[in-house]
Amino acid sequence: MNQPTHQPTPQPARPPIHQPTPQSARPPVAPPTPQPTHPPMQQTVVERIDQVAEDVVALTLRAAAGGQLGPWDPGAHIDLSLPNWLTRQYSLCGDPADRHAYRIAVRHDPLSRGGSEYVHRFLRPGRALDVSVPRNHFPLLPAPRYLFLAGGIGITPLLPMLRTAAAAQLPAILVYAGPSATSMPFADELRRSYGDQVRIVETKRRGRPDFDALAATLDADTRVYCCGPATMLAAAEAAFPAELLHAERFQPVTRTFGPDTAFEAVCARSGTTVAVPSDESLLDALAHAGHPLPSGCREGVCGSCEVTVLDGAPEHRDDIGAPKDRMYPCVSRALSPQLTLDL
Amino acid sequence: MTHAAPTRPRRVSPEEVLARLGQPDAMVKAKVQDRIDDYSRYFIAHSPFLTMATADAAGRADCSPRGDYPGFVKILDEHTVALPDRPGNKIADSFRNLAENDGVGLCFFVPGMREVLRVNGSGYVTDEPDVLVRMRTEAKQPELAIVVEVAEAYFHCGRALIRSRLWDPASQALAEGMPTVGEIAAAQFGADVDTALLEQTLEEGYRKLY
Repeated sequence: MNQPTHQPTPQPARPPIHQPTPQSARPPVAPPTPQPTHPPMQQTVVERIDQVAEDVVALTLRAAAGGQLGPWDPGAHIDLSLPNWLTRQYSLCGDPADRHAYRIAVRHDPLSRGGSEYVHRFLRPGRALDVSVPRNHFPLLPAPRYLFLAGGIGITPLLPMLRTAAAAQLPAILVYAGPSATSMPFADELRRSYGDQVRIVETKRRGRPDFDALAATLDADTRVYCCGPATMLAAAEAAFPAELLHAERFQPVTRTFGPDTAFEAVCARSGTTVAVPSDESLLDALAHAGHPLPSGCREGVCGSCEVTVLDGAPEHRDDIGAPKDRMYPCVSRALSPQLTLDL
Repeated sequence: MTHAAPTRPRRVSPEEVLARLGQPDAMVKAKVQDRIDDYSRYFIAHSPFLTMATADAAGRADCSPRGDYPGFVKILDEHTVALPDRPGNKIADSFRNLAENDGVGLCFFVPGMREVLRVNGSGYVTDEPDVLVRMRTEAKQPELAIVVEVAEAYFHCGRALIRSRLWDPASQALAEGMPTVGEIAAAQFGADVDTALLEQTLEEGYRKLY
């Protein structure tokens, strides 16, 4: 399963609703690490595996040796480094205040390449697992009211968002769609905790939720957060104004790009120039030239391989929406004959 | 031995072989499963490497290595597994054999594990999209896969791997005693081949694994 990743729509550069965590507010004791920064890994142990719906398990990952885990805000995800060498991204759906454990939920994809299948069939409590520090491509921005739209396992990043909005006593509605209640993780828990704020839509019985009707009664200051399958995102994009909608998708969008051409990558810090042939990714060419970068999905969704661009014009092919002066070399190439990277 | 033996080593009849080894005991026979049980499933999910034996219609046999990330062989159900066709797998031999003779013998290895899983059955080639999509790596998907319908699956004891010290890191020093692949290829292709160029070409080829 691929990690939900927000669409490349421009995000207003406003701070997330959470206050900076004490850790990030502390003055740095060491000189700032050079860019690109890659999320360091943290050691955890699988504490619990709970069946939370048909084909969905929730994992509780506790910090090894009783330590603390990296802080996060709603919308964040971690890379899970599985014993079968696969790295998969999952949204955190637990409580950000719990610094000792992360919670994620994983749906077993019948067409799994081995990630969700491993979690479902072969992972056992007690197994040590390395996870990245959390990253957030889908932050909850301040707003006077929220509408959350979840499709199936897309509930995961929205759970802590709803909890945060409710704790701040902000009006928030969750519309949660899935084929049937038994296939929808956390549906009972949500009903119990949030009552009328949560509308469970069983699409097999009632069809898809009517986003147009929701949009018609929407207050203009509502922020809409949507996470679900591509059909749901498309429906949300059609119904809600783009400036209000924040969406996160599971799969990369199929798009077409110009032909792959060869280019050069200049590594500014090491002073080397790497030739990138047309049939090789920038990520692979850098690795072969002695600049291995971390990587996860290798399809422009997870953001693990982020690198800083100092000069030149990248051709962005990722689904993350590369921040200014950054690129994802697993898929992105160059429009200019040369790129200068901070490596 | 300084001279080649004038005759072939003596041939032992099957009856005599059986008489010398004795019959396998009941427990050994009982371990042979007719399907992929939970333990075989664990083994396959953790195995990044296997050998695959096939033979042509005349029984001429061939054995080739297959490797990828652990679990690269997909378990479709308890009677069926599927192997991706990756480039450079010398797959044509296996494909040609399977077209004539569907017998397949697989031997799965898990690094660090002394026991080996053996799976025997019959194979055929598929391009079923739902099978291939599960084998996608680095945004590339194989065009073909080999489906093996399982007749037998069983764990093979660890003595061979214990004796061979296969997983002992110190055993890797054995490679230092080998001529380089460039030297080997140069000798096998003929005298006028540039060894360094061959090695460089080979290394270039190894950069593209998918």
